[in-house]
Amino acid sequence: MTFSAEKSNMIEFKDVHKYYGDYHALRGITATIKAGEFFSLLGPSGCGKTTLLRTIAGFEGISSGAVMIDGKNMEGVPANKRPTNMVFQSYAIFPHLTVAENVGFGLRKDPRSAAEKAKAVTEALEMVGLKGFGNRAAHALSGGQRQRVALARALILKPKVLLLDEPLSALDKKMREQMQVELIKLQRQVGITFILVTHDQEEALVMSDRIAVMFEGEIAQLADPETLYRRPNSRKVADFIGTMNFLPAKILSEADGKVEIDAQGFGPITLNAEQVSGAASSTGASVGFRPETLTILFDGQTAPDRESMAVVEEVVYYGDMTYYDIKLDGSDQPIRLSMRNVFGRPVLDIGTRTRVAWAPGALVVFR
Amino acid sequence: MMKGGWFRVYTLGYLIFLYAPIVLLPIFAFNDAAVIAFPLAGFTTKWFTQLFDEPALRGALANSLIIAVSASVLSTTLGIFASRATTRYKFPFKGGIMGMIMLPLVLPEIILAVALLVVLLGIGVPLSLFTVILGHVLVCTPFSIAILSAAFQALDGSLEEAAYDLGETPISTFRLIILPLVMPGIISSLLITFTISLDEFIMAFFLAGTEATLPVYIFSQFRFPQAVPVIMALGTLLVLSSILLLSIAEYFRRRGIAKTGGKDTGGFL
Ligand SMILES: Nc1ncnc2c1ncn2[C@@H]1O[C@H](COP(=O)(O)OP(=O)(O)O)[C@@H](O)[C@H]1O
Ligand SMILES: [Mg+2]
Repeated sequence: MTFSAEKSNMIEFKDVHKYYGDYHALRGITATIKAGEFFSLLGPSGCGKTTLLRTIAGFEGISSGAVMIDGKNMEGVPANKRPTNMVFQSYAIFPHLTVAENVGFGLRKDPRSAAEKAKAVTEALEMVGLKGFGNRAAHALSGGQRQRVALARALILKPKVLLLDEPLSALDKKMREQMQVELIKLQRQVGITFILVTHDQEEALVMSDRIAVMFEGEIAQLADPETLYRRPNSRKVADFIGTMNFLPAKILSEADGKVEIDAQGFGPITLNAEQVSGAASSTGASVGFRPETLTILFDGQTAPDRESMAVVEEVVYYGDMTYYDIKLDGSDQPIRLSMRNVFGRPVLDIGTRTRVAWAPGALVVFR
Repeated sequence: MMKGGWFRVYTLGYLIFLYAPIVLLPIFAFNDAAVIAFPLAGFTTKWFTQLFDEPALRGALANSLIIAVSASVLSTTLGIFASRATTRYKFPFKGGIMGMIMLPLVLPEIILAVALLVVLLGIGVPLSLFTVILGHVLVCTPFSIAILSAAFQALDGSLEEAAYDLGETPISTFRLIILPLVMPGIISSLLITFTISLDEFIMAFFLAGTEATLPVYIFSQFRFPQAVPVIMALGTLLVLSSILLLSIAEYFRRRGIAKTGGKDTGGFL
């Protein structure tokens, strides 16, 4: 699409604060969203995602700082003059209008002829898979169809930024997964910057180029999905995204880009300095790792890196996967391990002693 | 079984009490006798002819229509502003202010009428149809607010934001989105305040000066026994037009609900 190697900045938040009376809803948000990016704001309910999204749309003023869109400060620019469009959580389809009237609503002041506008509406409906729905009454649509109308209505105006506030949360699981894929394709097709608000970490990982994880009005980490999953920068982020095991650890020494730790169940290990994250805390350090980074070793198998002994405490069979809760020798805390089931290989029983393979590279140390 | 039986008797009794007098209206309107009594004396339409020949009555009817139309339009307009303000905005002393506006709903009307009369005379406003309209707006506005704030409350706030988002100004949003969606409520409010104003007696009696409204005229005619059958004829016409008006209101309300895909919760009518 673009010829320059570096994508331009589409949205810039500069130390944005927002108060509702005494309540400090946004606490110094500083972040940049690139043009053409699929960006997600992820966090638990009430952390300020919607508020932040609405400061872009212009529905919410800010108490201090600046919101820039495509290099322009948006201070004093009302919602109807901003180059953004929004897909609302409730979809906000106008119930007294037809589908085509809804989709063409934003074209009212467009100088094009009526025939050209009608053509644009038809194309927009086709793009979201609602070909031939133009004359239907909007209130007679299903949830998934309303959402498509909302998308077409926003995209027909070719905004610089499309804002989506939990657009999939009202759909059932199957419909949601289908819409996730369609949204990704749609975003690639139109090339518009999408900013998605969601509390569903899986949805954010699946859909986004980059994700900002928010807690209590602050961005805790802003990274691409893989970094977020593999190198969460705090225990809180690690806890929120996927499943992560934690075991107590001691940091023995730090020098020359290497860190020596002593972790419960793993013993003394040397790690790279970038595997350590988070500010020093008084509760003591811990080491974190994902369930799939541990592997049970069967007879004749050897660990590619390191191995330890463990005992199986609990088995949860999922068909394609089995989850084991195990205790490593030398550790008193159960940890979760996940294994893809392979034909001909048994599922272990509770109480079985087994060898477990692990790799120091998959560990993250939280101070 | 017994319980159901008594309930039926009660319902029937209630309906007879409510509607028998109204059924008597057309019976005596077409009865060829000046006294209102059984047995009936024969069929006639002369009371209706007399009715249309009575200039004082035509004047009163015209007055009432002018007042009712003005009062319903004014109070519904005020009702739209107040309902919009109370459902959409936060402002200091909101509860108190809304309470004061709704107060005429429960104040004895005669107190309001006398107070208004004293004030109007005190500041030298001559009594006329205009002063009656003022009084009726005072009485009708709370009803209008009650009907309209329900309609405004039912609006999803994000519809409005969606319209801004798509480039509309607050004014064009009001015209294109809010107004059409609360239109059933507005029509309801117009019709109900019209009916309230049309048969309002106390305000009209105190504030009309020399101009009589329909209820005031009817009241004055009961002094003359020979005028009673004519009043019966008039009553018959009023009942018919009320039924017509309410049917229209109900039609619009249902159409509004069907259009917006809402659930029918009974409505005001
Ligand atoms: N208009 C408002 N007035 C007061 N508090 C608000 C308002 N809107 C949101 N809040 C508060 O701000 C916080 C963040 O809200 P929101 O951005 O909607 O969270 P999220 O979308 O992440 O669930 C919440 O605690 C919420 O109660
Ligand atoms: Mg939200």
